[in-house]
Amino acid sequence: MASDARILVVDDEQIMREGCTRILSKENWEVVTAVNGETGLKAVKKGDGFDVVLLDLMMPGISGMEVLEALRQVDVNLLVIVITGYATVESAVEAMKKGAYDFVPKPFTPDQLRIVVQRALDKRTLQREMEVLKSEREKSLRDIATEKGRIVTIINCMGDGVLVCDRDSCVVLTNPAAGRMLGIQESSLIGKPLPKCSIDGTLTETIMESLKSAEPTIPTVSQELCPSDDASTFLRAHTAPVRNDLGETLGAVTVLQDITGLKELDRMKSDFVAMVSHELRSPVASIQQQLSVMLEGLSGDLTQRQMKMLTRAKMRAGGLLDLINDLLDLSKIEAGMVVQYKEPLRLEDLLRGVYKSMLPEAEAKGLKLKLHAKRPIPAVNGDRTNLEGVFTNLVNNAIKYTPERGEVTIRAKGAGKNVRVEVSDTGIGISKADLPRIFDRFYRVKSEKTRQIVGTGLGLSIVKHIVEAHLGTISVESEEGGGSTFTVVLPAGSQSNSRRPGIV
Amino acid sequence: MPKILIVDDDPDLVEAVTMILESKDYDVIAAYGGIEGLEKAKTEDPDLIVLDVMMPDKDGYAVCKELKADPQYTKIPILLLTAVVSKISTTRYTQQMGLETEADDYIDKPVEPAELVKRIEVLLGRV
Repeated sequence: MASDARILVVDDEQIMREGCTRILSKENWEVVTAVNGETGLKAVKKGDGFDVVLLDLMMPGISGMEVLEALRQVDVNLLVIVITGYATVESAVEAMKKGAYDFVPKPFTPDQLRIVVQRALDKRTLQREMEVLKSEREKSLRDIATEKGRIVTIINCMGDGVLVCDRDSCVVLTNPAAGRMLGIQESSLIGKPLPKCSIDGTLTETIMESLKSAEPTIPTVSQELCPSDDASTFLRAHTAPVRNDLGETLGAVTVLQDITGLKELDRMKSDFVAMVSHELRSPVASIQQQLSVMLEGLSGDLTQRQMKMLTRAKMRAGGLLDLINDLLDLSKIEAGMVVQYKEPLRLEDLLRGVYKSMLPEAEAKGLKLKLHAKRPIPAVNGDRTNLEGVFTNLVNNAIKYTPERGEVTIRAKGAGKNVRVEVSDTGIGISKADLPRIFDRFYRVKSEKTRQIVGTGLGLSIVKHIVEAHLGTISVESEEGGGSTFTVVLPAGSQSNSRRPGIV
Repeated sequence: MPKILIVDDDPDLVEAVTMILESKDYDVIAAYGGIEGLEKAKTEDPDLIVLDVMMPDKDGYAVCKELKADPQYTKIPILLLTAVVSKISTTRYTQQMGLETEADDYIDKPVEPAELVKRIEVLLGRV
């Protein structure tokens, strides 16, 4: 069994060396002895790893006091217990002043010796643990410094702007990109309370709110900003609070992206689509007009075959016109030009209107159209025309994709803070493969059953855009051959915004 | 027979509408732009004007506004020919048309011949 500690006994008297060895060995401590100061010093200098030295002060040759001083020079942490023969308090005090850890006056009992040595060993253990902790701490500090340096470099090199505030809303960290985007010298931001930083007011407000927010889930707020007066720059800002493990807010982090280029591209795309659509629209409308006139026989009598071909031609031109109109709608919705005028709406009235307008179409196809509105249904804050468009589109689809003698049902009810509208049918359904894509632009389910059904593939995409512009969601459940159910969930609310509608 | 002025910058459309109206024996005169339309409205003394909205030189709203502001011509019924700007926003569009122009009626292009004739008869008080 390895010993727990190594102890060096330096004493010129053999009886003392043997006595100490005998007492201390019982404790499973390894004892080495030295007959005088020189041998003792040599043993320590050799680096034998002693924990405690028991040192007689009165020895021939170099004195105990000198050995003590020399030992301290070799290892300042070495614990030296002096044995004071013919004990005088003075020599003990002097030894302690010179760095001895403790003393045992001769004569001593085995217990006295054991207690003193044990205490020294305990101290030794503490010393060692402290050293380990100290070196660990130094390493951690070094790691932290490295990590911090790395993070600072990363943040400074980032193309996205970063703005970090502490809980008192003082800016504690930012980067050159943020300064550039906000048009402020970044160094002038550090340490300043946010409201005094003269950055975008909306952003300041969001960050202050984020610091105040007490919601259990950490809310990230994304918003578009236009910090310059001339609308030359557009930013997207993501703001989230920083919380500790107790859920206390420590600050807030904002990441800024420059989306000016994206905005510009988006605008150009919308302009292009709008331009192309207008340019396409007029000639197609003109063609359709001419075909109408010919079909009326106003340009002379038509043969049966001419009539048939012109009827087809007119239908195809009509389909083209629908596509162009949908494209125009979509480009407008994407440009944010449609859902501008919101008012509190009673959905049961709106749905009744949709029901009435679609009833002839359903009956013409031999379908049952039903409307169930479970009152009370909270009001929805929405754009009447657009929401009418949404439900008309969904019901129209349901009718189109449901064979004769089927059923189309509109259900509406309040659901907590939301209003839920379902449009379900007993139609041909949607296959698993098609389901995830049906809200995509231009996606149309292609099968033997849908071949005869005309459509542009834009309707559901438009519907989804409008629902989302109302902060709602749309989802679909369907099985091939088992009908489909489209569910629109809109937040209930009765605030009216005062913005006047613009021509869209 | 009543005299109808058709104003549209698209000659093909003018021709088509002319054929519809002539089939019902109306006298039809045509103008191929807003400025020409305004001029003919004043000189030709039409009983009704079919007026396109989107024209490059002067749009239908402006022509309509000018005529309705002039007591001498304010009584001429005006039927606006509107391009359906979009299906979903149609209702709003038409609502605003009603609010912002003083046109007597409006109809989407392309028009069904029977529908056009019916609207015109209503405006002329012949129904």
